[in-house]
Amino acid sequence: MTSIGWLQIALLAAIVGLLTRPLGGYLARVYAGEHTLLRPLIGSVEAALYRLAGVTPEAEQTWYQYTVSFLIFHALGIVSLYALLRLQSVLPLNPQDLTGVAPDLALNTAVSFVTNTSWQSYGGETTLSYASQMAGITVQSFLSAASGIAVAIALIRGFARRRSPTIGNFWVDLTRGTLYVLLPICVIAALLLVAQGVPQTLAPSAEVTTPEGGPQTIARGPVATQEAIKLLSGDGGGFFNTNSAHPFENPTPLTNLAELVLIFALGAALTNCFGRMVGSERQGWILLTVMAILFALGVGGLYSSETGGNPALASAWRAGPTKSAQPPPAGNMEGKEVRFGIAGSALFAEVSTASSDGAVNSMHDSFLPLSGGILLANMMVDEVIVGAPGSGLFGMLLFCIVAVFLAGLMVGRTPEYVGKKIGSPEIKMTILALICVPAATLGLSAVASVVEPGLAGLGNAGPHGYSEILYAYTSATATNGSALAGLSANSPFYNLTLALAMFVGRFLVIVPVLAIAGSLAVQPVVPRSQGTLPTERVLYVCFLLGVIVIVGALTYLPALALGPIIESLQIAGGVFY
Amino acid sequence: MLDLAMLALVVVCFALAKAYAGLCDDLLARPAGEDIAP
Repeated sequence: MTSIGWLQIALLAAIVGLLTRPLGGYLARVYAGEHTLLRPLIGSVEAALYRLAGVTPEAEQTWYQYTVSFLIFHALGIVSLYALLRLQSVLPLNPQDLTGVAPDLALNTAVSFVTNTSWQSYGGETTLSYASQMAGITVQSFLSAASGIAVAIALIRGFARRRSPTIGNFWVDLTRGTLYVLLPICVIAALLLVAQGVPQTLAPSAEVTTPEGGPQTIARGPVATQEAIKLLSGDGGGFFNTNSAHPFENPTPLTNLAELVLIFALGAALTNCFGRMVGSERQGWILLTVMAILFALGVGGLYSSETGGNPALASAWRAGPTKSAQPPPAGNMEGKEVRFGIAGSALFAEVSTASSDGAVNSMHDSFLPLSGGILLANMMVDEVIVGAPGSGLFGMLLFCIVAVFLAGLMVGRTPEYVGKKIGSPEIKMTILALICVPAATLGLSAVASVVEPGLAGLGNAGPHGYSEILYAYTSATATNGSALAGLSANSPFYNLTLALAMFVGRFLVIVPVLAIAGSLAVQPVVPRSQGTLPTERVLYVCFLLGVIVIVGALTYLPALALGPIIESLQIAGGVFY
Repeated sequence: MLDLAMLALVVVCFALAKAYAGLCDDLLARPAGEDIAP
């Protein structure tokens, strides 16, 4: 490990930390409908959109109406993206004359991007036309992020409001998130990326002659605009197959840092937005502190594990002709871009899996088994380590409810959180939201591990092969989208089962989250008393950390033991898969 | 034909999700006299 490596990590943490408060304040003003710098510029567009859609912005919705609007919007999104992918061969902006996407792959891709997952069973540059990339993938990246933030805002309103039958208006929240938050940041980010060399063109792929005289096709396209929202939205689906490892997606150290900041910025800022809206910024800082500790543990473990290198190679090095007493100096560089190195790759992998973004700048399949286990664990804790915009915050708030419930059991009092009583309805909804993800992950992984179509996609045998399957379903249900690329997932079996996993991971979580919002909003605020658990103190940070780790471990440790843990033990003995 | 099957799958999944929302609505109903401990 090097000081430059740690400096990269510290720099990212510092920038995100500095952005959290101003961005959080901006988010709070936007969703409260208050004046912002952009309102004079965008206000008329917003009003025109409401008129066009027949939306009355003042008309608020109950949680059930909000949920139905959310579901209808996403159903239409899946159908329209599916149609676009199937019909791309007869639509314009298809300079490479690509054929329509196969039905099962089109469904998988449509569900993937509408649910903010961005699992890709295809290579972008060889499968999707520019129309599909721009009007399909990019548009859904905006909308899925805006709808995720809308759900988080609705839940915050549930905590913040008193005796309110409504939790906001889904269409208004969706529009404001897109117009005031995502679009302005993406315009700036896309311009920065173009300035750094990321292509933004509708010209077809370039046909060039290599120095050896052979022909080569260099794919390009409207990359910068997609790249910006790919990162900001927590979506992560790359224009190119190799995602942010491709020099056209991530050409310089500055773009690498900017991409990491974009991934984390909104998720972190939403914690501050939460604090402001419930009347105590400290509550938001407490959540961010828990996220930061989990992040530090993950990135430290990853960096250390990858720097240590492959123990079997170290043994071979010592036994080899050089008889060197020192281990190989490079650590584990397999599957990593030399320009990013171990620190840059470990940091990106940690941010990507913790945030639920799923973008990659290195090959996760080439990480050491212990590192792969850390990446899996990041996703298995329900993307609460900053997470995607919106889903990270409401995931963390679900754990907060569990934490105060357990604390309440210990002292025999009805639990409270930020002034709201947590009763049996909220606990039922929380359990529903928390249990459907592991049920889908572990259930589908078990099925894929024993049926022929599941085994047919494996690139490796033994525990590593099992890890590939487990990673795929974990990534899908956590709406992450990254992959241990050893798995050949473009088959009807994987396309359909992964689509189901993404559907469960998004909608079966969000419905009970909105129900909690509705249930909390109608309650009065309970005044603090001596029996109130102080959730703005260090003790609560420790307690919440313990709950997240224990719930995660109890749920997933057996599955991890069968995959990365056993592989890690075997690799030291020279057993490879 | 496959397109219709995929479309039907989407419709069924969202119908189930809406039913799930209805189930949540039922579960939210607080039983009369439910404890609110001190």
